[in-house]
Parts: sequence; structure tokens; C-alpha cells
Amino acid sequence: MKLEYNGEEQVPLAKAAVWDFINDPQKVASCLPDVQEVIVHDPKNFDAIVSVGLGLVRGKFKFKITLEPEEGGNRMNVKISGGGFGSAVDLLAGADLKDNGDSTTTLDWSGAATMRGPIATVGGRVLDAQAQKLISGTFANVKTRMAGN
Amino acid sequence: MTAPTTEKFAMGKSMKRKEDPRFLQGKGNYIDDINLKGQLYMALVHSPYPHANIKGIDSSAAMKVEGAVACVTSKELNAYNVGWLPTFHGLDKQMVLADGKVLYQYQEVAACYAETREAAYDMAELVEVDYEPLEVVNNPFKAMKDDVILRPDRENKTNHIYNWNVGDSSATDAALAASDHVVKQHVVFPRCHAAPLEPCGCIAEFDTMGRLQFYVTSQAPHVYRTALFLVLGIPEDKIHVISPDLGGGFGNKVPVYPGYVCAIAGALVLKRPVKWIETRTENLTSSFARDYHMDIEIGASNDGKLTALKVNTVADHGAFDAAADPSKYPAGMFGIVSGSYDFPVAYANLDAYFTNKQPGGVAYRCSFRVTEASYLIERAMDIVADELKMDPTELRRKNFIRKDQFPYKSPLNFTYDSGDYEHTMDVALERIGYKQLLKEQAEKRAKGELMGIGISTFTEVTGAGPSKHFDILGIKMFDGAEIRIHPSGAGIIRTGSKSQGQGHETTWAQIVAEELGLDPQNFLVEEGDTDTAPYGLGTYASRSTPVAGGALALAARKIREKARKIAAHVLEVDERDLEWKDYKFEVMGAPGKSITMKEIAFAAYTNPGDNEPGLEATLYYDPPNMVFPHGTYVAVVDVDRETGETKVRRFLAIDDAGTIINPMIVEGQVHGGLTEGFAIAFMQEIAYDEAGNNLATNFTDYLVPTSLESPSWETGHTVTPSPHHPIGAKSVGESPNVGSPAAFVNAVIDALSPLGVRHIDMPLTREKVWAAIRAAEGQAAD
Repeated sequence: MKLEYNGEEQVPLAKAAVWDFINDPQKVASCLPDVQEVIVHDPKNFDAIVSVGLGLVRGKFKFKITLEPEEGGNRMNVKISGGGFGSAVDLLAGADLKDNGDSTTTLDWSGAATMRGPIATVGGRVLDAQAQKLISGTFANVKTRMAGN
Repeated sequence: MTAPTTEKFAMGKSMKRKEDPRFLQGKGNYIDDINLKGQLYMALVHSPYPHANIKGIDSSAAMKVEGAVACVTSKELNAYNVGWLPTFHGLDKQMVLADGKVLYQYQEVAACYAETREAAYDMAELVEVDYEPLEVVNNPFKAMKDDVILRPDRENKTNHIYNWNVGDSSATDAALAASDHVVKQHVVFPRCHAAPLEPCGCIAEFDTMGRLQFYVTSQAPHVYRTALFLVLGIPEDKIHVISPDLGGGFGNKVPVYPGYVCAIAGALVLKRPVKWIETRTENLTSSFARDYHMDIEIGASNDGKLTALKVNTVADHGAFDAAADPSKYPAGMFGIVSGSYDFPVAYANLDAYFTNKQPGGVAYRCSFRVTEASYLIERAMDIVADELKMDPTELRRKNFIRKDQFPYKSPLNFTYDSGDYEHTMDVALERIGYKQLLKEQAEKRAKGELMGIGISTFTEVTGAGPSKHFDILGIKMFDGAEIRIHPSGAGIIRTGSKSQGQGHETTWAQIVAEELGLDPQNFLVEEGDTDTAPYGLGTYASRSTPVAGGALALAARKIREKARKIAAHVLEVDERDLEWKDYKFEVMGAPGKSITMKEIAFAAYTNPGDNEPGLEATLYYDPPNMVFPHGTYVAVVDVDRETGETKVRRFLAIDDAGTIINPMIVEGQVHGGLTEGFAIAFMQEIAYDEAGNNLATNFTDYLVPTSLESPSWETGHTVTPSPHHPIGAKSVGESPNVGSPAAFVNAVIDALSPLGVRHIDMPLTREKVWAAIRAAEGQAAD
């Protein structure tokens, strides 16, 4: 099951500040909804343990997350893979940063997730709506946290 | 049902099933009822990925679970040289636990052993596997491009497994070219599953003498014993396989599954009994049936005489070539695709491919690809009739193999034993009121209502099998029977077959009782224990009555010959002066002077004279040919034009299974098989999405009909005995599953034919039927 999402967030911070935020594993991880634990291995690789409740699939999923910033500070790619309880999720997400020229930045993001196992079958009926909620929640959190900074 | 025509002493009687008091009181002894002292429980870790490299497996968190004992991967199994298993026919091998890579979703990756079942499952959830996803090949048409090679372990670096063909290709092409009409159709028999209510399971223990006591849900216990010797090197005398009561099998309990090997390996290394019971998901994801993509061409003359048959098939075998096919032919009995019809010439060609799907190719209630073949030809016959604007029954009648043509050599190399297809169809048409139904249909069509009548006049090939056609790992597919008569005339019967609900405890007693004139109620039937049962290759492929049943009749006749000597001694006559008449030995010319088998049995232990005491026989039977049951099935459906909902208003099955042993049991078997056929036709499919996800992993997605959804079945039979079987019996257990899908689909398509719908692949869900109606109406509007 392959799902694709995209959206746009307006962040009330300058592009450089946004870039710093999304290059910080601890900060990025804290934006994941229901994150339980974050283990940072290095500035680009970290693990996050997240509570998942999707139909009958409930429990803790462990994700490996790799940040892949592009040269020039205009685009961040994120590779997330992991799962739990016999399910696997592979997510490739990316965000283009656009300086709006008024100390605000536009985060133009898109992501494609491949779900495998019970999460795709048992959870399939509610998966699309839940995943949409999860992803937009993550980027909304990014906006909120940055605004809080 | 119509009254059986074969009623005799014990045969042909609807004797109540001797095993039922045990089952009806909940006293059956199933695998999960068996518990051994000190047993561990095993749970398996399955891959969520359909195709991935395994970069690492970490069981450290799993081993911290309270009660954890061990976690095993392919590394440990390979150290014991049991990392891979030979497949059923020995032409491929399959991983026990994923070795370096996974090839299908839910493939077994690790085995966890613990003190309790719960702890074992907790462990399995905590085993961390580092996967590197690979491109997924989720259908055979992608596989045939060989862009991604799934099995680099094999010598030939291709996803193509084999090509098989039979018949005369050039003569068939020439006949098709010369035909007035050539009808072509692509037909898919989707991937489905036998789904017995009891999943598979086992308990393995090495006893104090180092002997493997292996309790297992097996339809073929002796095959398991020999396979375990071949795979594990354990001498056969050190292996005891016990198959207890089985809650259905339908072919699903024939293969040796990775879980069995892991349980045995665990028991050996951990020195404790190990129990493993499949979950429903494990059952549904470890094997499959069908998945044939078929192209058929039929030539016909203007007057409806068939001229040629050509079939090209692409078979999806999944990750390993583990098809349950013990025949000498890669596609099993698919050559029965010429069906009940006298094609002058025919050709069938098949190519099989690996994909990232579960392996198997279980012969789900059929004799190795017979269902696919029967469905195809019966579906295609309706399409031919439609194109020629003929009544489908008339097209069939015109092309049936006639009664006087048997034994009939088919263009695809079978020798059909016997049949009377026209008679069986006439009985069915009369009983269903075909003419009246046609009249009603015409009236409904005039009002725009969708009513369909579907016919299937199938022929099966069953009774694997003659040693010239079949073997499993070299072992010929004969069957053994042993009968011991006690002094009182009671007795014990043992065979190498294994009932999964077929009622052998009753029917075997009836066969022996008929041959010996003894009371069937006083025979104990034992099966499933390799220490006591004579060697035999088990129960599947409708082989029990054709093979073990034949062995029993012949063993009983051996006893009768021994009894003749004792009778001659007791009656003080020459044995040549005795004749077996009216179920006793009578002195020829002296009708009052006779002795019953019961009296002979007592004499065998008390007064045998110069004869060897006792009364028993063992016999191994290698049948000279397969048997060819047939039938006519008629489905009557109403389709709701607005919703696509199909209601099966009537379904009649007239089976010809040769001599009938127990009509009640036959009727029960037909009811069960029709319900399975109904499910396949309308609701079941193991489908995969683009990412390789198996979308039917539980009974909320893979639907099993209850009595609420199932139509009311009408049954009956004709009797055309097999000329070569000792009691003239054929088989019936698989006929309803083989014959019914085409009747259901033909009925629905017949209902939709006024709209111009020609074919829909199963399952005919209301969504698919609705879409077909909308598309047809849209086209008409354009």
C-alpha cells in the first residue's frame, strides 16, 4: 500500500532559523506525534519510538530516521523506516524551504509512504485518514515548535 | 437424494457416521488438545516485507521476556544442515527460515521458544530484523521479464520455472485455422486458500530412547516419516508420526511446513517437547491454491461440432516451486482440460514463474490442477455456445464423449475409465425443470430483469495414483490396508489414508463388511499412526476410496480366500465345492449347508484344522488407472441490476461417483464442497497490492461463508461404476469444489448476457458485477 501526501506550512521564522531547526534531530523528533523516546546516533541519524494506534494495530513502533539535507539549505529530505508488530513503514519525505522575504518561511512538503503487513491490511480501512493526520500533525508541530522558539 | 441403486449388505446404506458421537460431544482429539509434560511453545517471526535482504537479526530484547528459552534463525538451522527443505516433487528447495533474504510477505524469519505460548508470541514481537527492501515482483507477467531475479540461489538465473506441454501443437493450430469459428477467452482462476477451520500445528518430542514422537496435523503421516528421514537423516524406526483428529484439511495439511522443522529442531536441541500451533494469519499466508492465468481457444463448426482446443497458461507459483504435485507431469492433471468433450485434437502449454508471493500450489480439494482445468473448459463452453447462439446444454450434448466410447483416450493423453454424461445431464435438466426455467427467464428478460441459468458438465480425474504416473520423492502412490478379524467376527481395519472429516471410520467398515458379510458396526478403523498403520500416502486428491478403498476390498477378498479353507475344514468338504453366496460360504448343490463369516472367524481361532490360525490380511494396491467421476451442476441466479447483488436461487448437483458406499456421507461431502465452490466463485481471493502486501490474512478479509450466506443445496446422483476399481467406486469429495465454480459463474454471466457481458473473473463480488453492469449499460448508451 503506497500513500502520498503533500502540504504547505507558513512558519513565522526566517529561513536560516528554520533550516537550523530541521537539522536538529532532537527537535525534529519531538515534532512526531506520540513520540515516546528519541535516540540520537549522530547529527543525521536517530531512532524514534512512537505509539501507534491504528485499527487493531496498536503498540510501539520503532523508526530509524535519516536526515538528508541538500546543499544550499533549500531542501531537506527525510528517510524514515521501521515498524513493529509485524508491520513495516517506509517513508520518504521532503520539504522545500522558501524565503518569503518577510522573516517568514514556506515549508512546501510532500511524502510517500509504503505500508506493509497488518498495518496495511487490518489497519487499511482507516490508514489513509490516520496517516494524513499523522503527517500533517508532524508538520503542524514543526510550525508550532518553531514559532515557540 | 434419489434412492441409491447400489444398496447391498453394508454398501449403499446411509449408515450414521461412527465417528460422530466423539465429535458431536466435543471429545475429538485435535492437535491442540495434546500436551506433553515439560513442553515449550514456539512462535514464528514473519517478514512484513515481500522482498528484502536481511542485514541483521537481533533477538536480545526478545530473550529478556520472562520465560524466553531460545531464538533460532537460519544461521543455526544451516549449522545443522536443515536450513532448506526439498519441495514436494523434489525439483526445488525452500527455506525453512529466511536465509539472507525474504521472498514473500509473512515468510518465516525466526523461531522463538518459550515456557508459555504468550511468552513465545511476546518474544516474536520483540525480535528486531533489519531489512533492506528490494523491488517487488507481484505477478507472473512482471516476473517473466526477468528484470529482477528472485532466486539467485538457483542455477538458472531466471524467474521462469518450467514449461510443460501436452498434445499436438501443429495439428491443433491447423484445425483451428480450418474451423468455421474460433472462440478465444482469457480466464483467471484467482489465488485462493483451503482455509480449514483448524489450522496446522505439531508437537515434537525426542523421548528417552531418542525416538522422535511427532504429533502433527498431517493428511499423509507416512510421507512425513519418510520425508523427515530424507531431510533430517533420522532413521525411520526412530520416527513416530501421529496425526490425530483433523479439523479439515482440503490439501492444506499435505505440505511439510517450516514450522514443523523448527519445532523438531527445537525439540532436538533444547531436549524438551516443542508445541507449535499456527495462527489464522499464518495458516492463510503460508500456502495457496490456483493462481492460473489461462488463454483458451476453441474451434467449432457452424453446426456446433468442436474441432480443436488450445490452452496457454501462465502459472504463478510464488517464491518456491512447492506445488503439491506428486505426478510425473509438472502441471499435474491439468490435461483434463479437454473435459467431457470429444475434441479431435488438443494442445495445452503452461509456463510457471516465481513471484514474491507465498509458495504452495496446494491441491485444494482437487487432484493437482483439475479445478483450474475444469473451470476453464466449462466456462469456455458457455462462451462458445453464446457465440454460436446455441443453448449451452445442446452444445454440450452434441460434443459429449459418448457412453460407447469408453475407455476413451483423450487428445491430452488420459484414458477415461467410464461415464454417461448425457444421461447425467438429462437427469439434472429434468430435475431442475430446465425448460420451465428457460421460459421464466425469457419472461423476466422481457421485463429487464436479470436471471441466469448456469450449467457445468465437468469430468474430473482423481485417485492418485498409479505408479506409472505418480510418486512423492520417489515413493510410489499405492496404499496399504490391513484387516484383522477377531474370534467374534468383529475386527480392526487400518489403512495408510487419513480422514480429515471424510468419515473413513464408517465407510471403510462398510466396504469390509460388504465383502465379508460382517457387521460394519463391529469394525474399529485406525488411521494416522505410522507405528500401526500400513504404509500409504495419505488422503488428498480424492484418492482414499480409489486407492485405499480398493486395497481394503482386495484385502477383504484375501481374507475370504483364507476363510474358504477354514470353512471347507469345518464343513468337511473340499474348498472347491464352496461358493460365496448371499454373504456366506455355501456348499454347492446343498443350499442348507453353509457357514457365515462370523462362524468362520471363531473357527479360525478355535478349530482351524491344518490351516494357519487367525484371520487377517494386508494388501498394497497400485491402481491400474485413475478414476474419472463426472457430474452435471445447475445454478439458477437472480442478479439485482441496481446493486450487482447475486442471489443463488437454486443449485442442483447431480454427481456420478461410481459405486456409492454411503449416500449420506456423499451428500455431506457434496454440501461442503459446494459451499467452498460458492465461496470461491463469489467472495474469496488472496489478492496482493502493488507493494506486495497480502490483502487476505484473516477471516475478515478472506471470507468463509456460513449457513446464512450459503444457498440451499439440492443433490442427487447417477451411478456409472469404474470398470477397473475393485468395487466400482470413483470419488466425490472434490467434485463439488471442481464442478461448481463454473456453474455459478456461467449463471451470473448468463444473467448479464442480454447486456453484452461476456466474462468476469472470480470472485464475482457485487462490486465487480455492479461495475460490469454499469460498463455494459454505459457502452450501450454510447
